[in-house]
Amino acid sequence: MIKYTIKRLLQSLITILLAVTIVFLLLRLLPTDYYFTEDQLMKFTTEQKNAALEAAGLLDPVGEQLVRFYGQILHLDFGISRRIQSGIAVTQVIGSKFEVSMRLGLISLAISLVLGVILGILQTVFKDKLIDHLGTVYTVFVNAVPALVSYSLVLVFGSKVLGLPALYSTRNVGPSSILPVACLSLASIAGYALWTRRYMVDELTRDYIKLAKVKGLNTREIMISHVLRNAMVPMVQYIPASMLLTIGGSLLVERFFSVPGMGPLLTDAINRYDVNVVQTLVMFYAALGIVGVFLGDILMMLVDPRITLTEKGGAR
Amino acid sequence: MAQAKDFEGKNPDELFYFVEYSPEEAEKTGYSNYSYWGSVFQNFLKKKSAVFCALLFFALAIFTFIALAIGKYDYATLVVDQNNKFIAPNSEYWFGTDNIGRDYWCQVWYAAQTSIRLALVVALGEGIVGIIIGLIWGYVRSLDRFFTELYNLINNIPIIIYMTLIALMIGQSFTIMAISLIATGWLVMARRVRNMVFMYRDREYNLASRCLGTPLWRVLTKNILPYLVSVIILRLALSIPSTIGLESTLSYLGLGLDDRTPSLGVLLRNARLFFLDYPYLLIFPAAIVSIISVTFYICGNAFSDAADPRNHV
Repeated sequence: MIKYTIKRLLQSLITILLAVTIVFLLLRLLPTDYYFTEDQLMKFTTEQKNAALEAAGLLDPVGEQLVRFYGQILHLDFGISRRIQSGIAVTQVIGSKFEVSMRLGLISLAISLVLGVILGILQTVFKDKLIDHLGTVYTVFVNAVPALVSYSLVLVFGSKVLGLPALYSTRNVGPSSILPVACLSLASIAGYALWTRRYMVDELTRDYIKLAKVKGLNTREIMISHVLRNAMVPMVQYIPASMLLTIGGSLLVERFFSVPGMGPLLTDAINRYDVNVVQTLVMFYAALGIVGVFLGDILMMLVDPRITLTEKGGAR
Repeated sequence: MAQAKDFEGKNPDELFYFVEYSPEEAEKTGYSNYSYWGSVFQNFLKKKSAVFCALLFFALAIFTFIALAIGKYDYATLVVDQNNKFIAPNSEYWFGTDNIGRDYWCQVWYAAQTSIRLALVVALGEGIVGIIIGLIWGYVRSLDRFFTELYNLINNIPIIIYMTLIALMIGQSFTIMAISLIATGWLVMARRVRNMVFMYRDREYNLASRCLGTPLWRVLTKNILPYLVSVIILRLALSIPSTIGLESTLSYLGLGLDDRTPSLGVLLRNARLFFLDYPYLLIFPAAIVSIISVTFYICGNAFSDAADPRNHV
């Protein structure tokens, strides 16, 4: 187990490193004009520009820049932001944003887990009845209709009918978070409901359920302590990943409601050529994804002792 | 067929006689009029809701052309006119006008056409690239490691980064958008195909085929590919709603199509600031984009059920 963990962590580190290298090289392909603000572009002479680039080390050969970059990562030095918040350490820029994203994300994760699993259970219990069909319509709607449209509908309904604020504001955090959280939960409720229902329905036809019925257990006991518990095993795998991904924030939701979170930071940073922020963010996202999958596998193993990871090189 | 009365009054020796071999008779028992695609369509046509959705989609796709032809304004000759802005739908402007006084009807239908075309092109491209790479990935063992690493690498970087870099470095247009969506979208298809190929590549009949010296491409296309049809169709059909969704998201963020090629995403982005006061700016594009996506989603699910040979009689 330990050997497997170490091997897997090493592999993940290589993946992250490769990802960062690719992004690093891609960013170096951009014209260096992006390094300057529009104002500077107008005023600076070519010599001044070259001097500034020289000072930032952007004129060195790419290989040299790359080696220097690796050295900085080893010292956990992620550099300072130039455009987003000039002169402030990248870690600080990201830190202040991810608190907002994480708060919204975790609330919506909790809501969607609870509501989604309950909806899934109800759909299974009342299979092929009205509530099941309504649930299916909901999942089809959420999966098929573009997120932008469903968010717009939530926005119109929320602000016209319920009178909630249409934009997030730091002065009015509570009420103005309701619509973003609703949008974030909308899709994941459908996801959890869909999978809960599918796994529970699969589980219902098993022999041990028949035995439980023969033994005279009532439906509620069978559903909760037998079917649901076994159906949760394949789902548990995804919970850590989605929990970690909430830190990353949702680009669309945060843009749509002007939430000052992590989501828009990445595109902003790329658009404004804030190289250090982009590189750190990519590393961060890649690490979140990989750690999420890894934790998911371990959690699944804890929930279901029959599953071992080492046997066949990963349970995925 | 022999019937009971044929045997009446005969002695036991006469009851048995030799039957001559006749090829026609032999064919009769061996023959079944099963045809794969025949059954697929038969099963599909049984689902009334899916057929209805398919018809609705085709009707809408055709109507985009009719709508542009019968509209009173042509997209190419739209002019900005501040005096005409935010006119509610009326007999002159069937869908009203937008924030700079342009006819909304022709914009909406032109955008619907762009979105459908983009989705179809991307689905086709994803399909071709994904299937070919997936087959190779699954079949050639020594390449598995390489493709898995490539998959992890591309999959671990958010797609937004690629799209932003592409938009900045190369530019924004229909072709660029289509190519970059295909370049990131083939992964899912390839992964699915690879998993299926893994399941079938070492079945006995494939081992036998290989021993008999069947060329690789023939094993892939004749022995393995037919098993994948339902998976492939499902993925293709679902990639259309997801492409439309992704396109609208990207366009909303300003990373998708440029303003000169209106798509439903571009229209929704432009409407974002105004639709609380002028709901018709949201309703028309949103309704059309939802109809396209939902119909395709339902059709795709039904068709892939129908294409699964296990569901055939």
